[in-house]
Amino acid sequence: MDEGIAERALAYAQKLGAAYIEARLESTTSNAIVIKNGIVQLASFDYHEGLGMRFIVNKKLGFVSTNELEEKHIQEIIAKAIRITKATKDIGQNTELAKEKSHKATYKVTQKIKLADIWIPERTQLLLDAEKAVKETGVNVPARHLSYGDTDTKEYLITSEGTKILSHIPRMETHYFLTIEENNKVSQRSWSYGASGGWEQTKKWNLPKVFEEEVTTMRMNLLKGKKAPSGKMPIVCGPQVTGIMVHESCGHPYEADRILGREAAQAGESFVTKRMLGTKIASQKVTIVDDPTINNSFGFYRYDNEGVKARRKFLVKKGIITEFLHNRETAYAMGLKSNGSSRAADFDKESIVRMSNTFLLPGDYKEKELFEGVKKGIYMKNFMEWNIDDKRLNQKCTGAEAYLIENGEISTPIIAPVLEVSTLRLWPAVEAIGKNLELHAGSCGKGEPMQGIPIYLGGPSIRLQGLRIK
Amino acid sequence: MKHEDIAQYLLKDLKRKGADDVIVQLSSSTNDIVKFSNNKISTTKDWSTTMMSVFVAKDKKIMATSLKTFTEKAAADLATRTLQGLKQLQPNNEYFGIAQGPFKYKKLREYYDPKVKDMDIEMIDLVKQSLDITKKKVKRAAGILEKNDVENYLLTSNDIEVRENGSWLYFSIRALVNQNASGHQTAVSRIKNKLNVIETAARAAEIAHLANRPRKRISGTFDVIFEPLAFANIIERIGEGASIFSVESGLSPLKEKLGMQIASPLVTIHDDGTVPNGYASTSFDAEGSPTQKNTIVKNGILKTYLHNTSTAYRYKTKSTGNAGLIAPDPHNIVMEPGTQTKDAIFSSVKNGLYITNVWYTRFQNYSTGDFSTIPRDGAFVIKNGEIKDALKDIRISENLLKVMQNVVMVGKEMRQIKSWEVETPCILPYVLVKNVQITKPE
Repeated sequence: MDEGIAERALAYAQKLGAAYIEARLESTTSNAIVIKNGIVQLASFDYHEGLGMRFIVNKKLGFVSTNELEEKHIQEIIAKAIRITKATKDIGQNTELAKEKSHKATYKVTQKIKLADIWIPERTQLLLDAEKAVKETGVNVPARHLSYGDTDTKEYLITSEGTKILSHIPRMETHYFLTIEENNKVSQRSWSYGASGGWEQTKKWNLPKVFEEEVTTMRMNLLKGKKAPSGKMPIVCGPQVTGIMVHESCGHPYEADRILGREAAQAGESFVTKRMLGTKIASQKVTIVDDPTINNSFGFYRYDNEGVKARRKFLVKKGIITEFLHNRETAYAMGLKSNGSSRAADFDKESIVRMSNTFLLPGDYKEKELFEGVKKGIYMKNFMEWNIDDKRLNQKCTGAEAYLIENGEISTPIIAPVLEVSTLRLWPAVEAIGKNLELHAGSCGKGEPMQGIPIYLGGPSIRLQGLRIK
Repeated sequence: MKHEDIAQYLLKDLKRKGADDVIVQLSSSTNDIVKFSNNKISTTKDWSTTMMSVFVAKDKKIMATSLKTFTEKAAADLATRTLQGLKQLQPNNEYFGIAQGPFKYKKLREYYDPKVKDMDIEMIDLVKQSLDITKKKVKRAAGILEKNDVENYLLTSNDIEVRENGSWLYFSIRALVNQNASGHQTAVSRIKNKLNVIETAARAAEIAHLANRPRKRISGTFDVIFEPLAFANIIERIGEGASIFSVESGLSPLKEKLGMQIASPLVTIHDDGTVPNGYASTSFDAEGSPTQKNTIVKNGILKTYLHNTSTAYRYKTKSTGNAGLIAPDPHNIVMEPGTQTKDAIFSSVKNGLYITNVWYTRFQNYSTGDFSTIPRDGAFVIKNGEIKDALKDIRISENLLKVMQNVVMVGKEMRQIKSWEVETPCILPYVLVKNVQITKPE
């Protein structure tokens, strides 16, 4: 990676009158495997490199990028981009950035076993071992779609304010989609695992065990599952369900660019307003954080794409809304400081406000203690269907692996229990929190063009009181 | 050397080193976006990309990669590395080759307009004009105007060498009286003079204006009039579910339903890569087969899945011109118009709903088609053909095939839809569906 490319580009944009510039030069090596129904469909390997630059000229914001790194071409597209951005003078929003300290740093995620030393057969075997585990259960799983991908990204970020950050983050993820059939009934499950680090992280996923449990429990659900009871009852959610609730109904609505209306025509806005800072949104037991600094997490980074140092953000502390997710632009608009939440999915995307690793902090209960005292309730261990409206109030979760709780114990499997609830009722209903914290990988979609960005979502098991199962 | 010369060198070198099938695709694009929110342009984005993607098969093993540096040496190195990688792979016994050319390609209409490339500053003016329109009825508007200009060159080891330029324009605008009263519309075109920004903005503002009234939460079963933007989210799933890859992966409710009635007799749906001014129209697919019009559903009966050369061989049929190298994909999904005017559809509804947009369509089970989706922007109660109360906090909790079977009226005015969530372009009319289950949160 020729770091001079970014430096010369920044200097050229300055010469053309840009008052603020952040330039990101990125190179990424990637590998992927797709397996369908036990057959390796294809493998891929790739290397790409490119420059992305966000700039402010005459108080208007612009973005430019290219993967053709010849100086003449870079200068041409920068000149064109600045000309277009300047032309928004009558109708462009004035953009100013919150003042932040500049940083010079180099950091990388340690790889015990480097992804660069892993060959195709090992990547393939990771998925084939999971396939084998499914076969050995004897469960009928007629459709199996498995994929694995890794990226090894080096990023050189510089700003016109003197920030220089060189980072190196390798990441890997796997995704599965399984169709289980029994007695002419069909059930499906889909989930992902991911991490930053070296190949050693993939061993922690223990995919054969995950697959074995997925297909055997879903088969039992098809064989013995009863119709879900309806009505008000205690609901215990497993960590995957807690995680999606945290991400979708707490993480997204606390993104300051949504609150300010910048994403109105894309991922939507938010029911949350600036005036809600300091108000109660959840039970006193609920504390939700977004933290990019967790080692080996999928959403890991030490400095965001504006060069602001990353830190743990408390979105909700003891039930009170305490902080939104900010980049420098939204922070200025709200008279605050950035909290390092500016991320771009690739060099050719503008950095915008994003989550990293968002989760509910654990409580004191063992998971089985959450069932104790429940005469009749529901345990929703995981889910398939999940959605929420664009203000992040009206959400629906349909359980995949789910059970009846009777007299403090898990009993019969139940089929597709539905929790359809407003965010304003959901979080106050948390009455007990387990200590079994789990963090799960996801790709969070936002922006236009769409940017899928690696995140963790998570939390422990929780018990909800006073809500209705449909 | 020119990039095309490098593509030819790379193909020859891969063949010389033992590859069975090779596809090299060279694309060079320039793209611009004007993004606006709160009645102001929030940013402009300009980017350019040149890509040479490579598909190689040898002994039924498949590798995909790309060339970054356009020199003979880099191409030769990539060829060597790809062939070495292929040795480590397991064979894909489902693979049966790529299309054998040469082909004659149908000349498309309205797929490229060189004027699009030069619209830079004009895009800002168009956004300004659209905001001038919406300001008359709503407090604020947000959206984007995007343009793309792409040169494509496809070369395969099976006697195919073909070039095509393309231009694309996409406009999306969401008008808001307030956060609870909004309207959203999109417009797409391949040529400059057919992008109707003003009418699109006015329509979004009109819906928002209508939605600015007391809002009700309801649940139950209702007859629903779907605006094309809303129903595109539904028929897109039929088009994508028709890909044989989706069928085999459990991602489709259309498995083992060829020849069966999967929708109302009023429903005919095509995949068509040749539609004039179609956002996904192209004269050739990813392996160089000519695109065509494929009737997926005819009068409610499932007629075909979508294939590439390899999957077609396995199913003893012909490619439908929808490669995708391992996964066939639809081009434009076209629902045939019916005979009803929009007014006639509204007049027929005594007690029902009108839904203008949905989002976050998610499936509990792709193979059965059980899903839910959330109305977003204006949604209304219809009484005796008139728009009455606005709705809030509702969800369509349904089954995809049941919805298709319950189509009772199909409009005759067609709209082309692409949106933030509708990635596969759809061309469709207003549709009335009976007995749609609506749920609400507690």
